[in-house]
Amino acid sequence: MNNGLRRYGIWVVIALVGALCWGVLALARGETINAGWLLFAALASYAIAYRFYARFIQNRVLGTDDSRATPAERLNNGRDFEPMDRRVLFGHHFAAIAGAGPLVGPVLAAQMGFLPGTIWIIVGVILAGAVQDMTTLFFSMRRDGKSLGQMARDEIGPVGGAAALIAVLSIMVILLAVLALVVVLALAESPWGSFSLAMTVPIALFMGVYMRFLRPGRVLEVSVIGVALLILAIFGGGWIAESSAYAGFWTFTPNQLVFALVVYGFVASVLPVWLLLAPRDYLSTFMKIGTIILLAVGIAITLPPLQMPRFTEFAFNGQGPVFAGALFPFVFITIACGALSGFHSLVASGTTPKLIQKESQVRMIGYGAMLMESFVAVMAIIAATALDPGVYFAMNANPALLGDTAQSAAQAVSGFGFSVDAQTLTQTAQNVGEESIIGRTGGAPTLAVGISQIFSAVIGGTALQAFWYHFAIMFEALFILTTVDAGTRVGRFMIQDLVGNVWQPFARTSWLPGNLIASALIVGGWGYFLYAGVNDPLGGINQLFPLFGIANQLLAAVALTVGTTILIKMGKLRYAWVTGIPLAWDAAVTLTASWQKIFSPDPAIGFFAQRAAAVQSIEAGELNDTLIALKAESIEDAHQILVNTTVDGVLTILFAAMIIIVIADASRVWYGLIWGGKQPEMSEAPWEESHLDAEGKEIEREPVGAR
Amino acid sequence: MIGYLRAIWEYLKEISGEYAYDRYLTVHAATHPDKRAMTRGEFYRARQDDKYNNPGSRCP
Repeated sequence: MNNGLRRYGIWVVIALVGALCWGVLALARGETINAGWLLFAALASYAIAYRFYARFIQNRVLGTDDSRATPAERLNNGRDFEPMDRRVLFGHHFAAIAGAGPLVGPVLAAQMGFLPGTIWIIVGVILAGAVQDMTTLFFSMRRDGKSLGQMARDEIGPVGGAAALIAVLSIMVILLAVLALVVVLALAESPWGSFSLAMTVPIALFMGVYMRFLRPGRVLEVSVIGVALLILAIFGGGWIAESSAYAGFWTFTPNQLVFALVVYGFVASVLPVWLLLAPRDYLSTFMKIGTIILLAVGIAITLPPLQMPRFTEFAFNGQGPVFAGALFPFVFITIACGALSGFHSLVASGTTPKLIQKESQVRMIGYGAMLMESFVAVMAIIAATALDPGVYFAMNANPALLGDTAQSAAQAVSGFGFSVDAQTLTQTAQNVGEESIIGRTGGAPTLAVGISQIFSAVIGGTALQAFWYHFAIMFEALFILTTVDAGTRVGRFMIQDLVGNVWQPFARTSWLPGNLIASALIVGGWGYFLYAGVNDPLGGINQLFPLFGIANQLLAAVALTVGTTILIKMGKLRYAWVTGIPLAWDAAVTLTASWQKIFSPDPAIGFFAQRAAAVQSIEAGELNDTLIALKAESIEDAHQILVNTTVDGVLTILFAAMIIIVIADASRVWYGLIWGGKQPEMSEAPWEESHLDAEGKEIEREPVGAR
Repeated sequence: MIGYLRAIWEYLKEISGEYAYDRYLTVHAATHPDKRAMTRGEFYRARQDDKYNNPGSRCP
């Protein structure tokens, strides 16, 4: 009894704290709620989930076995297979899964109020996202680090496997386009931002040469130099923005930036990695982790009140100006990364499983790192909802609704049911060193304003706010560009691999013509969507972000389907709900969203309803009421809407079909295993005894460099 | 305080792979004592190529 109290007493306290915080979040009356309640509700929930649910999954569902040697131990070659200290591996894995997604999604979802986003970020990660990461990591580890695509092929079948592969490739293209769009929207007409981001290229080149020739492998010292130069570049940007001679030269229109990004993406994909991609990767990783830590400290010190209401009316009527659609399913599609992200299953089935020392560590690395990612999303939602809601909507609503001046924007915002005066909008822009903040969609600028307010409250006051704003913009743009580089490369390899099946020479990644053609294809793919998004009369983020969300959740559905199949094959049918329930939920969300995007008669939501309105306008030779209500301005807009909605609509159909194919193919396998009396065929690597102890130290002989 | 900072620095060094070459040498000596080991420069170049030529991915 006494023992039990000692063991569980602390957990009772944590549970009570968590329940209290959730209670305040859900029910407290009064003007505003402090961010602290949200912070502690999240932390208490994570702690309980990690201690109880993750441990349940580890022991009962997966049955990790520390006497079994991991691939890192068995196949140790000191390079890609190597038992790595769990704390170091946690850092690596977290750096690989943390990207711009968890920062952008929650900002957009904030239009529905702070509560829907917060609930999904926390509940979603505990029951779905972290479960997906942990199970995929475990299953891949048991198969010597096989990729998700290979596992889908081996465990489900060639049809499911092929669908998974096509899904990954098309998602990659949409993902890169959306991320590049975020960068374009953040840098357009901003000489400060454009200059500091452009400077990252020479900085990365310098670091690349240094690491390749001067001092190989000394990543840390060159990163310190790189970060110092980067901060100098941000100050330099402030100087450029004020100088009358250079400000004009560094001011770009959105279309010029699209051109620059496409050329950059192509060159970066063709150049050797050591020159540009690898150093940029280190730079953005350190910036990312540093900024996340700073943000956590900043929020903990300032504890800002949340000014956004708990729910806005847009959660229910689906008429939000940031993106259209009601709470279900669009909040879940939009938040994606912070709660459940299919992309993590690619990381969890790539490098990480080859480095794990002990099977039980999948809990800390798979589940734990994802909780941390979710915490980043919680901070993003705090930063966005601590802003004045009027400013939030003036920045994020579709620019066509806002007009060009502070007055027109203030008026539009009052039409949404919030109030802000033109003076505040101009002042906010001035504080962050920009001409205007109106209609700066994409999430990144909003987050940057939020971050700059939090940071400058701790260090520097308003004098440094412009610096902090551009610091945040730079940090987001930097790691988005890193993803663009790396993603283009990955896509290039996939195309070379695919075509290589038909025509051999193409598969050799060192063959220059193949390299150039595949790079051009992939850059052309995302470049097209980027261009279409920037020039979309209905607002690019509004149109493309749901598509990206659907694609990402589709990949999660593939990972959860593979997981459920393997659980059934392991004879764990009675625990198959652990991945089965998130799968059912994810499929329901994704398919409902696709359904609405395809069939909704509301032209604000349905691609084909928009398309019909465009066709009608073109035939009539003038805009009809529907397009005018959507703020289209000319008949050229109608033509553009026709093309965009056709492409987006067809892609949505493709994604929905892919989910159905993967799940249907897997159901066939499940049926055969459960009722058809089929013998499960597993592709697990055979059991072998481990010679490492829980800390990764040698137990017996075996000199193999474990430390 | 100094102790903490040193621990963080060591962690960062470990995480950025500065000790990877030393470990590689140990493994190499144990498994292929007869073959020539890569030099530091060769090792990091090979490692980097491995990392980026294998389309494992990252999250957006």
